[in-house]
Amino acid sequence: MNRALPEMLQCSDMTVLQRQRARLKWQTEQLRQQNYFCELSGVFTSQTGFQQGGLMNGAGGGDSVLSNMGMSRQLKPDPGLETAWPELGKINMGFGSCGYGNGPSFDMNHAISRTSSCPPAVAAAVGSKPVEVKGNSEKMGSAVGRESFKKRKVEKLQNSKVVAEDEYKRIKASEEEEEESKITGPNTIKISNNKKQNSGDTSKDNSKVSEVQKPDYIHVRARRGQATDSHSLAERVRREKISERMKYLQDLVPGCNKITGKAGMLDEIINYVQSLQRQVEFLSMKLATVNPSLDFNIDNLYAKEEFPSCTTNFPTVGMAPEMTNHSPFLQFNPIQQVVSGCGVEMGMGMGMNSSDMALRRTISAPVSIPDASFLNTTCFTGPQQQIQPSAPWEVELQNLYNVAFTDTIEASDLEMEM
Amino acid sequence: MCPHSSLKQEFLKKWIMGLQRCSFSKKNMSILERKKTIKLSADIAMASARNGTTRWSRALISNASKDGSDNRLVQQILGPESNTPVAAITNKARTRRALVCKKIVKRSRRQIRRRRRKCVAAAPVKAVTSSIAKHLVRKRTQVLKTLIPGGEFMDEICLIEETLDYITSLRVQVDVMRSVASASVRASEP
Repeated sequence: MNRALPEMLQCSDMTVLQRQRARLKWQTEQLRQQNYFCELSGVFTSQTGFQQGGLMNGAGGGDSVLSNMGMSRQLKPDPGLETAWPELGKINMGFGSCGYGNGPSFDMNHAISRTSSCPPAVAAAVGSKPVEVKGNSEKMGSAVGRESFKKRKVEKLQNSKVVAEDEYKRIKASEEEEEESKITGPNTIKISNNKKQNSGDTSKDNSKVSEVQKPDYIHVRARRGQATDSHSLAERVRREKISERMKYLQDLVPGCNKITGKAGMLDEIINYVQSLQRQVEFLSMKLATVNPSLDFNIDNLYAKEEFPSCTTNFPTVGMAPEMTNHSPFLQFNPIQQVVSGCGVEMGMGMGMNSSDMALRRTISAPVSIPDASFLNTTCFTGPQQQIQPSAPWEVELQNLYNVAFTDTIEASDLEMEM
Repeated sequence: MCPHSSLKQEFLKKWIMGLQRCSFSKKNMSILERKKTIKLSADIAMASARNGTTRWSRALISNASKDGSDNRLVQQILGPESNTPVAAITNKARTRRALVCKKIVKRSRRQIRRRRRKCVAAAPVKAVTSSIAKHLVRKRTQVLKTLIPGGEFMDEICLIEETLDYITSLRVQVDVMRSVASASVRASEP
């Protein structure tokens, strides 16, 4: 709005300027109202006539703009939009409205029409060739085709800025969009947001999907050559959300880097979740066999434990005395001395490392984990059990010292375990 | 990975607490019963570690509290946070209704689409392959919904988010249980 004023001042045609000013005022007032959409189609014809009148009154620039419009059928990419908008505003200021100006001025008319009343003086100017203008605009609209905004009224309305070509096309398309889709509430919100957007928010224009401050509505711009149907746009948003989340899952589930399709990814995810659930079952079965009375006394459990990992971090379970208990066990293994020295950090490190271990195990040998669990459950008293617990601890110790340990170490340890 | 370790600690704490309380109440349980209680307490501890922020955790707790026998365990583990199961159940009821309505709409849409497809004489190859792919995806999402607790009532986007969270918590659970199992095995050895 403010930007429009200096432009308006530059305009020579005062009547047009006055009209512009009135229009802008109307526009800002109407931005708050919600019933703009209803009036939109109703007032369209009259407004176009008005615009035509404005064109007549304006300097010959209107004709040139119109001719530009005629030539400007070529579609411009979206990024051009932001830069184009200010020009759009200028031109609009300059010419009031032209056939092309129909676009941005049309938006303003929308704004005006919201209040369901246009200034009578303006309405009086309607006249010359309402039908012609309308036909022209419709033609242009159809020619615009696929570039369209969905729920981007804000940007359109913003305009006091008018730009040539693609803007017009955009606006036309958006007009079509508006006529097709029933958008009510968020209009006002979008408008206020649009002001912020117009102030150089190119990234938003460049992005295919953008989310406005209000969490209720998501504003989407249809891509070039794609359907502008509200349903298809919503579906596209949904699809993009799903694909974004699938990407996160790809990082989480091992072995999904090579798979690209949704079905394959889902298959991997299902297998992984099932394997994890099975592991939980096996481990609980194992614990049930090991502890006949369900007395999981942490003190006893970690009495022989080499790592004070969990103990130091569970004061509520009465683990504090465990710290002293560990000293007699330090001689078990020279590694343990280092372990005790680290203290709490070890515990944290352990927590991290064991998760890293699990991660790396899963990455390096996805099949090995179920095998390892089988080993745990089936060989309760086998020698493998002796090896298996110690190996991971040693490996994890190595982790502590060597932050960037290679997968080869892991693989070798896994082989040890197996 | 720091939040990971804190999650582990919390899980372990709650799990051991629940198991200790359980061991006081019952003696001489069969192995299967023990396994069941161990698993159940682990699951509930895992779910409560989320503090009702995720749907799967709420669904898990509400499913567990439906069973009369397990309810005690749930209450023990949850302790003072007895509001969570109630909230979970009501939340589920609300979402269930909404999702049932959604299902009905989807089903009717599917039937309409099927009728339209039957009218179409020759389907191009692309359409056939895409329909096969869609069919596969749909089937697999159904399977995934059965896997994730409370998944039947979620739409696809929520389902994937919940799967993410569920996978991380399952991993934590497996790690902790494995370390406890190995430690107890070593402790039981002479």
